[in-house]
Order: sequence, then structure tokens, then C-alpha cells
Amino acid sequence: MVAKKYGMVIDLRRCIGCHTCAIACKLENNVPMGLFWNRVLTRGGPGLDIPEGSYPYLKREYLPVACQHCENAPCVKVCPVGATYKDPDGRVLINYDRCIGCRYCMTACPYNARVFNWQEPLRIPGHSYGSQGVPDRKRGVVEKCSFCQQLVDAGREPFCVTCCPARARKFGDLNDPESEVSRLLRERPAERLLEDRGTRPQVYYLR
Amino acid sequence: MRDKGYYLWLGILSVLSILGLGAWIYQVTHGLVVTGMRNIVTWGLYITAFMFLVGLSAGGIIVSSSATVFNLPQFKPAARPAVLLSVVSILMATLFIFVDLGRPDRVLNLLTSPKLNSPLVWDVIIITLYLTLSLYYLYLMGQPEKGEDRLRVVSALALPTAILVHSVTAWIFGLQIARPTWHSALLAPLFVVSALDSGLALLLLALLGLDRSGWYRVDKSLFSTLGGVLAVLIAVDVFFVFSEVLTALYPAEERLMRYVNLLLKGSLAPYFWGEILLAIIPFLILVFRSNREKPGLVGLAASLVVIGVFLKRIWLLFSALLIPLLSYAPGVPLGSYLFPPFEFTRYYPVAWGITGKYTPTWVEIGIFIGIFALGGLLFMVLARAILAPSTPKESQGVSCGLTS
Repeated sequence: MVAKKYGMVIDLRRCIGCHTCAIACKLENNVPMGLFWNRVLTRGGPGLDIPEGSYPYLKREYLPVACQHCENAPCVKVCPVGATYKDPDGRVLINYDRCIGCRYCMTACPYNARVFNWQEPLRIPGHSYGSQGVPDRKRGVVEKCSFCQQLVDAGREPFCVTCCPARARKFGDLNDPESEVSRLLRERPAERLLEDRGTRPQVYYLR
Repeated sequence: MRDKGYYLWLGILSVLSILGLGAWIYQVTHGLVVTGMRNIVTWGLYITAFMFLVGLSAGGIIVSSSATVFNLPQFKPAARPAVLLSVVSILMATLFIFVDLGRPDRVLNLLTSPKLNSPLVWDVIIITLYLTLSLYYLYLMGQPEKGEDRLRVVSALALPTAILVHSVTAWIFGLQIARPTWHSALLAPLFVVSALDSGLALLLLALLGLDRSGWYRVDKSLFSTLGGVLAVLIAVDVFFVFSEVLTALYPAEERLMRYVNLLLKGSLAPYFWGEILLAIIPFLILVFRSNREKPGLVGLAASLVVIGVFLKRIWLLFSALLIPLLSYAPGVPLGSYLFPPFEFTRYYPVAWGITGKYTPTWVEIGIFIGIFALGGLLFMVLARAILAPSTPKESQGVSCGLTS
């Protein structure tokens, strides 16, 4: 049997820029205030939700960005202690108990997908809200999207995929030709972010 | 009271070191949020200082081991102070990495679970080797009876190690495809030549200081010769920078131009043009033989070079970090948050950034000054113990060029 290679496909023509995925991720993964693992960017004008051009000739597109789980992951290469690693299922994961907080991976990531616990993690309300099995992150370590490892390993899908009201996000095994993600990639043109950097992301964007 | 100046400096530097220690303790108790670093600009003053000090260290030892390797007897008197400077600088550089860690308590993971893929681990290895060699070198030079042979072997090893130590430091940055202004094959040569000119300049300052304190007399002609070498190195440094900028500027590749403009006319322009200016002025001073014969002018030129190279470290580091490759609104969550009501009024501008901003806080500056003071202290104590004759004639205090 071929090893798994988890990946995500995001349909940019379905995405409505509602940020539900960003909030769902924050809840599920117990991400503290001031940090996001998943965010929705506006490809267009200078600010959030602002289109490019002048009325009525406008153009706007939303671009949800989290860890791209690159096949050729620069962050994994630079981590001096092996805290960031590529797991057998093709995910880029972090061992939060080993991270020394040097932030080398953050300078190596072309997507700015990684965030650092600069301060004591602060939560509103004042308790943890993540689901069970989410690893605990203390002050002074880097954190990022894990494709919701705790859910996927239990046979479910990442929470952003579950919650997306526009059903723009699909998750699955890129090595399995029968999976929905593989089918979508066969049928529709897809791009990956900063493809010229050669990182070979496992997150695809459909147009 | 001929030691008055010495003890005065000892006192001042000790106080500054202790203040730096205090700032570090404050940082450890509150987290790196007390620094000016955030999620876009994830490295700041500490890493700038790290690059700078590795350079200072490598430069000194390259000059001093050249004296033995290439048989340049006129450089020999500079060898011992140079190795001493190298040892002190590399220790300071290591301290800067340490204070930059989010989890200093796990620093030993670098030794217990190192990943050989990481240039940072290469640096740990090469710095350890380098420090060992330097210390052994220093020990050998204090034992003339052990013979020239061993010294020759150690300097033959120290020279490539010193070049490598700064190349590896450059590769920490230069191998990153995410950072356009770092990702260049020229980065390692650029670092090495900056190491050579700043290291030599610092060595000149230290020699001037030691000469003035009367601990270690050097011939006046040495300043002139080293000054000439410094002029050549400055020229090579500017040539490399020019070549690098031209390569980016001529094709005017859109993505790269955002970063280059940051240097040429953006927020980093003062550092970029400042460095160029602080290379041209000392070059113009040192290129004339009559100027090189005046130790005062050589000292001035050397201090300008050291400051110039520090400015270069600043623009090198931040030019790559300030602009994310994906710079769409709202950008990147910066990572600091205060409870309401403080945050609600200024939530958006504080919590997110499309491009980065960085200003070192007083904590960072305190730690920075503390480590430099500690280095100065270490150098003074060691210089007095190793270099000075057993009965110092007079000591008006080292003018402490090394902290400038």
C-alpha cells in the first residue's frame, strides 16, 4: 500500500471570505489571542475586503492561508533540533516539547504560516477551548496548522473543512487516486502558492 | 594609583553587565513579548549582533593566523591580541543566540537531538571547533618553548575554520528561498569579507587601546601596514555589495525590487547608504600612506569601518524580514495581545501587519549593552593577564574601542 499524503484543496470560486475557517481553527486547536493558524487574505486592494481597481471595474479574491504542508518543506530542513518534522502521512508537524524557540523555521517559511508564542498564551474566555488531544503549547515555542491531527487521526476531517459554509475546502489523501482531492485536481486547474519557490505545497487552490 | 583607570572601567563594565543580566531575567520572566520582535520580523537586534560578532571574531583570527601560515613576520605582534579578541567575540556571539531563544531552558536540545540538516547545527559544530582551536592557539602562543611547529599546524587549521565559521553563519541566512535578499550565492563571500574588514578594524582599535594603556607595545609601522590591508578589504567589500545590488537592480524583477527599494530609498536606506558612506570615508583616509602613519587617523577609520559593518548587518537582516512574500491584507497576526479594554480601540493596527515593523525595546538594548560590556570586561581582564608585562608601567585604562 502506498503511504498516505494528506493534502487540502480549496476552491477559490466557492470561498466567500467569511473567515469561518479561521475561527473554527482557532477554536478547535486552542489557538490563543493574537495568533491564528489559518487566516483569510484578500487578494485585491490594500486592505481587508477591499477590491482592486476602481468602480465598476473591480476585482477581488479571497485566499485562505495556513501551513501548506510542503513536500519540500524549508522549515523542516532548518529546524536545528528536529522539533519540526514531516510525519509518515505527509504532514508537517511540530513536537512542542522539543522546540527551543529559535524561530529559524519562521524565517524559512515563505508563507508566514508559523506563529510564535511571544507572550504567555492568553485566552478569552480565560480557559482552554480546544478539543481533546490538541497538544499544549507553552510560551516561547512556534506553532502552526497540523491539518487537525487530533481529528484526522480519529478518522474525521480538519475542522476548517467541516465548518466551511461554502464547502470550499476538501481534505484527503493525495496519493489515493479515488479520493475527492485527487479527483478535483484531475478535473480542475489548480495552483499552489509561490510555486516558483519549489516547496511543492500539499495545499492546492482551484480556480 | 596607576591602576585607577583600569579599575574604573572594570567597575563600569561590571555594572553594565549586571544591568544586562537584569534585563535578561526580565525577558525570561515575561517572554519575548518584551522585545520588539513579532511574527513578521522574527529576528532582531540579537541576531544582528550575532552576525556582527561572528564576523569580528573570524576577521581577527584570519589576520593573525595568516601571519604564521603565509609567513608574514610583521603581523606576528598582532596575533595574540587578535586571538584574544576572537575568543571574546565568539563567546559574545554565542550569548546572543542564547538570549534570542524562546526556550533557553531547552538549549541543550541542540546537543542532545541535533539535526544535521540545519545550518544552525553546522554553526554550533563549527563554532565549538573554532573556539577550541582559538583557545589552544592562545595557550600555545603563551608557551614559546613548545615550538613553532605546533603553532604552524594550529594556524593552518584556524585559518580555514575561521573562514568557514563565517561562511556557515552566512549560510544560515543565504540558503533560505523564502528570503529574497538573503538567498544569494554571494552571501558567504560577502560575509567573509565583512568579517575581514570589521575584524581587522576592531583589531586595530584593540591594538591602539593596548598600546595606549602600555600593556602591549606594538610598532607604529604595524598600524600603517594593517591600515593598508584594511583599505583593500573595504574596497572588496563595497565591490561585492555593488555586484549584489546591480544583479538585483538590472533585471528589475518585480518581487525582488520591493526588497531592493527598501534599501535604496525605503526605511532601510539610512543603514544601506550609511554603510556605503562608512566604507568610502575610511577608504579615502587609509588609501594615503601619510594618513596611515598617524595612529589617530587609522583609529578613526577603523571605528568607522566597525560601525559601517554593523549598519550592514542591520540592512542585511531586516531587508529580508520586513516584507512577507504573501503581503496581502490583513497580513500576519503579530502575536501580542492585551486584555480589553486596552486592545479594542486599537485592535486592528496592533494585532495584524501586512509588512513588518521593528524597533528594539529597552530590554533588548539593555541585554545588548550588557553582553558587550561583559565582552569588554572579559577582554580587559584577559588582556591584562595574558598580554601585559607583569608590572604594568602605567595604565590609563583601555579606551575600550572594542565596544564601539
